Amino acid sequence: MSASDAQGPGTPRRAVLGGAAAVAAGFALTGCGSDDDGEPEGRKKGEKITLTFWSWVPGIDKPVALWNRRHPEVRVEVEKVSAVDGAQYAKMHAAIKAGKPPDLGQIEYPVVPSFLIDNGLLDLTRYGVAAHKDRFIGWQWQQSVFGKAVYAVPQASGPMGLFLRRDLFDKWAIEPPATWDDYAEAAEAVRRRGAWIETFSATNGNRFAGLAWQAGARWFRTEGDTWVVSLDDEPTRKVADYWDDLVRQKLIKTIPDRQNAWYKDIQTGAMASWLGASWGDALLVGNAPRTAGKWRVAPMPQWEKGGHAHANWGGSTTAVFAGTRYPKDALEFAIWLNTDPDSIALLIENGYGTPGAKKGYATSDLDVHKDFFGGQTYSRVFAEASRGVDTSWRWGPATDTLYQRLGDAFTAAVGNGGSFRSALAKVQGETVWDLKEKGLKAEAG
Amino acid sequence: MKRPTRTEIRGARAAAGFLLPFLALFLFCFIAPIGYALYESVLKTERTGALGLGGETREVWAGFSNYAHALEDDRFTTGFGRVLLFGAVQIPLMIAFATALALLLEAASARWVGFFRTAFFLPYGVPGVIASILWGFLYVPGISPLVELADAAGWEVDFLGRSAVLWSIANIVTWQFTGYNMLVLIAQLKAVPGELYEAARIDGASAWQVARHIKLPLIRPALVLTTVFSLIGTLQLFAEPKVLKPLSNSIDSGYTPNLAAYNEAFTSNNQHIAAAEAVLLALVACVLSFGFLRLVGQRGRDGEDR
Repeated sequence: MSASDAQGPGTPRRAVLGGAAAVAAGFALTGCGSDDDGEPEGRKKGEKITLTFWSWVPGIDKPVALWNRRHPEVRVEVEKVSAVDGAQYAKMHAAIKAGKPPDLGQIEYPVVPSFLIDNGLLDLTRYGVAAHKDRFIGWQWQQSVFGKAVYAVPQASGPMGLFLRRDLFDKWAIEPPATWDDYAEAAEAVRRRGAWIETFSATNGNRFAGLAWQAGARWFRTEGDTWVVSLDDEPTRKVADYWDDLVRQKLIKTIPDRQNAWYKDIQTGAMASWLGASWGDALLVGNAPRTAGKWRVAPMPQWEKGGHAHANWGGSTTAVFAGTRYPKDALEFAIWLNTDPDSIALLIENGYGTPGAKKGYATSDLDVHKDFFGGQTYSRVFAEASRGVDTSWRWGPATDTLYQRLGDAFTAAVGNGGSFRSALAKVQGETVWDLKEKGLKAEAG
Repeated sequence: MKRPTRTEIRGARAAAGFLLPFLALFLFCFIAPIGYALYESVLKTERTGALGLGGETREVWAGFSNYAHALEDDRFTTGFGRVLLFGAVQIPLMIAFATALALLLEAASARWVGFFRTAFFLPYGVPGVIASILWGFLYVPGISPLVELADAAGWEVDFLGRSAVLWSIANIVTWQFTGYNMLVLIAQLKAVPGELYEAARIDGASAWQVARHIKLPLIRPALVLTTVFSLIGTLQLFAEPKVLKPLSNSIDSGYTPNLAAYNEAFTSNNQHIAAAEAVLLALVACVLSFGFLRLVGQRGRDGEDR
């Protein structure tokens, strides 16, 4: 499990709701940057040090404990941070501003660039990260490469797939949809039975990005030293119109996903499917245990019959902050955490998505919850999807702001009946504005 | 000029000694953060280097451009309109409700006063975040017994929907603060000398007339105070929408001005604009509270003249 907004497997719903209380923690900051630009001195031979690692991944302490047993000189201490509403990044940005960042942090792919404009992350090429490049899946590695610099070590990704209640689809004689046209028909058929096929969660910019990604969108690219934002491109419009239509016809709900009401719908079968990602298995197992054996995973519906376009939702890296005093040791830990077979085994056990490492596990190891999916070797579906992900997709700086803008615009559109398409144009304009406001060069594509 | 005597000097020293802890904290926790916010609000970040990545970051003078940016952002200004509407409806309701409760509990014929006073006051002891979580469970469809009851009665309610959610928040705030305001009013009622009531009774005033012509005018300062507190509290609405946001499809990131500033600072990582928004919010709160005080102050004097 690796998407921050995917609450962990077994995270009780109450804890999720209560997590908002942790928000207040974000206020504790006063700004005074450190002017220490010198090269960190690193660890002396035989010296014992402690590195801090901010993460929210449930069970991350297990591989860390293993590391600590094996490396008594370099102790890593996990500090759990709240992943509700991006609170963990707020805390990291604040810590950078205050000049007291941790040594290591869990950062999702889309958010990596926003730390670069703060000079918050260490360019790992200076410490020999390039030697490890081939141990990771190419496109995941590329997500943290900017220019010649490498800013993070891939941990896991979330190729998307369609989780569905096979028993209900069978009972209602509905075929798992292969194309988006089929999906719309299925939505209607499910609705006739009094259930819903899905919800369009206005505030879930993450998933919407995945849907646009699948359709062939490219939201960000660079031209010279300028960011070009093209949120309002043809593929994204197609996706927006499609979901707009489903919402207008009242074929899908508009409640937020992965919140109490949604969990209830998933538990009762009122919602018969979920467009999720590979880390979603643990989420369903943890929150709807009584539906065990009834779920299956199907590939994401396609825009073209027989197509093989897929997308990614979530996934994160282990990054080293620029303020660390021990860059070499921090990098060594980051590489070990994400490539050591024993570490990977522990990460998989806790459900963390599709590994960024190429080796150190077998695909079948990922079928942790096989029984829940009626014996299906569902990780094959995701492995297949991972191969179909358009690897040219790039994230821009300020993705978290973009998600928020998108969420606001869709919230308004769902509420007052405005078109989703017009929301895209609005958000594109706002994003260009936001980037300029951050002191960057930006234009609409 | 007379030289200060030793006692006077000692007195001044003692006064300074007593004042110092307060002044130090006041400076440190109040004046300094405000000064820092003002300072941040007139700066902006300038980045160099290709694409702004890996380059130099500098803070430069921005004048009022952050303020202009905040006021151009329709999210932020809409949020202001929203809390003003909220205040126009919720504050009078809550104050009226609190006054009614205070008068009832202070009426001569009231029974079990201590119990009811505590019971009404209790919600104030629940932190705002916890109260919002509690009510959140009562609002979410599929979990809430209230929604279930309404459904069973064939009445379709969506407490978290676009038209209702502001009033769902108003309900939480009212639940939390009515008891507190009631207590302030009761304290003032207790200070009314008993002879006044006796005199009124001898003059043949009914309980209603006593309340209307003696109690209400005499607790006027407390009413003004609670209204001003509520006004400021309303402008600063934050915890309730923040907690309900993930549960609702109708709360955006600028739902209230405070939420907008928070998100600007901690989601968009743009402290300068957030600081400008915070200063604007403080200004509006100032203008409204002092404006209200002036308004009721003038009316109060008019009343005395008559």
